[in-house]
Amino acid sequence: MMEQEARANGGRSYRIQTGWSVPEKSGEVPVECPVVRELASAEFPLADAVWREYHETTGNPRTDRIIAVISEGTLVSLARCRRHPDGLEVDGIFTPEQYRKKGYAGLAVGALVEACHHDVLYMHAVRHLTGFYAKYGFGPIPENELPPTIRERYVWAAGNMEGAKVQPMRRNAGWQAGMFRNCGNLG
Amino acid sequence: MNFPPAAGTFRISRRNRLTGFALVTLLSFIVTMLAGREGIPGVFSNILFFPVILACYWYPRQGIFLSLGIAALFGAGTVLVTPPGSPGVPTLLFQMAFLVLLGGVISLLSSKLSRSEQQLHTLIEFLPDATFAVDREGKVIAWNRAMEEMTGIRKEEILNQGNYAYSIPFYGTRRPVLIDCILHDDPEIRARYAAVMTDGDRLSSEQFFPHFRGGKGMHVWISAKALIDADGTVTGAIESLRDITDKVMTETALATTGSRLNTIAGIIRHDLSMKLAVLYGQLSMGVMKFDDPSVISFIGDLKGSAESIQRLVEISRAFRDIGTVAPEWIPVQNAANEAAERTDLGGVAFRSWAERLIIFADPHLATAFFHIFENAKRVSAGADRMVVTYQITGDGCVIRVEDNGTGYPDPVKKALFTQAKENCGSGLYLTHEILTITGMAIRETGVPGKGVRFEITVPPEGYRVV
Repeated sequence: MMEQEARANGGRSYRIQTGWSVPEKSGEVPVECPVVRELASAEFPLADAVWREYHETTGNPRTDRIIAVISEGTLVSLARCRRHPDGLEVDGIFTPEQYRKKGYAGLAVGALVEACHHDVLYMHAVRHLTGFYAKYGFGPIPENELPPTIRERYVWAAGNMEGAKVQPMRRNAGWQAGMFRNCGNLG
Repeated sequence: MNFPPAAGTFRISRRNRLTGFALVTLLSFIVTMLAGREGIPGVFSNILFFPVILACYWYPRQGIFLSLGIAALFGAGTVLVTPPGSPGVPTLLFQMAFLVLLGGVISLLSSKLSRSEQQLHTLIEFLPDATFAVDREGKVIAWNRAMEEMTGIRKEEILNQGNYAYSIPFYGTRRPVLIDCILHDDPEIRARYAAVMTDGDRLSSEQFFPHFRGGKGMHVWISAKALIDADGTVTGAIESLRDITDKVMTETALATTGSRLNTIAGIIRHDLSMKLAVLYGQLSMGVMKFDDPSVISFIGDLKGSAESIQRLVEISRAFRDIGTVAPEWIPVQNAANEAAERTDLGGVAFRSWAERLIIFADPHLATAFFHIFENAKRVSAGADRMVVTYQITGDGCVIRVEDNGTGYPDPVKKALFTQAKENCGSGLYLTHEILTITGMAIRETGVPGKGVRFEITVPPEGYRVV
């Protein structure tokens, strides 16, 4: 129902025809609430286009699950969970500059955590955002506790995670506080 | 036990073989001796290869001795007739040794070929299904014992027969049959069969032969495949026929019985629904007639019981249909959302995170989810969310439906998926039945007091992330 047509727009923002609407209450002005959902494989190029500003990250349908926040038909925030041979890594959490300060990234991370909460999740968090990820159940861990294939991504830092301004984090499996926050009639 | 000759061979009687062998040997020996006497042995000495090859091919066990004999004759004759100055003893010994060596090699190969043919024919002979094979020209090269029993035609009567002789026992006339679709890809031959299924290079179909089984008729499942040599060339074809009359009759009887039971159940369901509609009407009237709170409460309880009966009627209707349509690949997200729309979840927020997951399931998958949601709802006091997720594991995929309500107490869990005690179990039993059709399993693993958690285990071949 929500995905009928997706197209790039201007190379920077991306509109998705969702068919989704907020039910109107009589006498009230409709309040737009973003849709949060997992992208279909065919929609991965839309995420790639948004991620172009974020280290030119690209999604791979064989290994990735991508959660998108869609506001007024525009893809405003992304989060990805990638399956490695020895663990699941959360990354690609990105909100384009013009859509920040609206809580979209929190919706994306919360949804991703809820969708994958039966697996242990790892991440390399930017140091000043560890508090943000802690709200979703992530806790700091030493680098050597990361699964080898996930650790390889930052092998260039040669163990100096502090210098690289990243903090390895882990979220244990389970239904914990801080998961997806409901927002009306989300898809 | 005698077996028919292999494909591509022709039968020569033992006496003819002996005669042929003797003649070829005699002629070859005479030519060789004459050439030796004239002092031109050269290529003529190679003529003795023919009797050696024949001897070792026809008589592999005695081949080496026959080769030795031919070589000895050749040696003795050469010494007697060769004029002085011809090639010496070493050359003669080399030629004799070569004849014996040639005989040995051909005997060995012929023995192996013969053993391989014997094994192949033993296999065909003892196949439980009636089986026959034809060569490229359509001549029968194998006709096993089960085939003899099915048709009454002995293999001696039909081997080496061509011109569609194998069709006569089945159709009473010479005509192409399924095996000929392999040799000649002719649409007209296929058109003679109601439905020809192709599975790789194998063709199969079903036929009814009214004159078999003493005129009672026989349903036969037929399967045909090409015989291919080491170079990939089609050298013939093989066809198996299986008597499936008992299976067809059982299926027909079951279908008839099922149809009758469904008809009876449908009549009962209809009558029950009608009576329930009347009961609803009377209870609604009762609410308007009485204003005593205790009576209204009592009527409310009666309506609740009537609703339970109606629900059971609906479940019995779903039971009628499951398994009647072939399983298919179904998007889990669609099934879960469809079920959620049918369920009155009250204030519980429902979210499904299975956008790309498809599973091989009975088309009533949404009904299975519906009963999971319905049952979860009944024990979910205080729940504010219900979530559907999936997890890829080493053994396949696990789909979970969970909430944060009170969950099931431990004593109840064991009986959740068994059939109907009063007021519980039927819906989840139906769910269990729907899922097990395609090898899935379901269990409840929630922690009492912390919520419901239904786990559907999907086998590795039963799911895809698309």
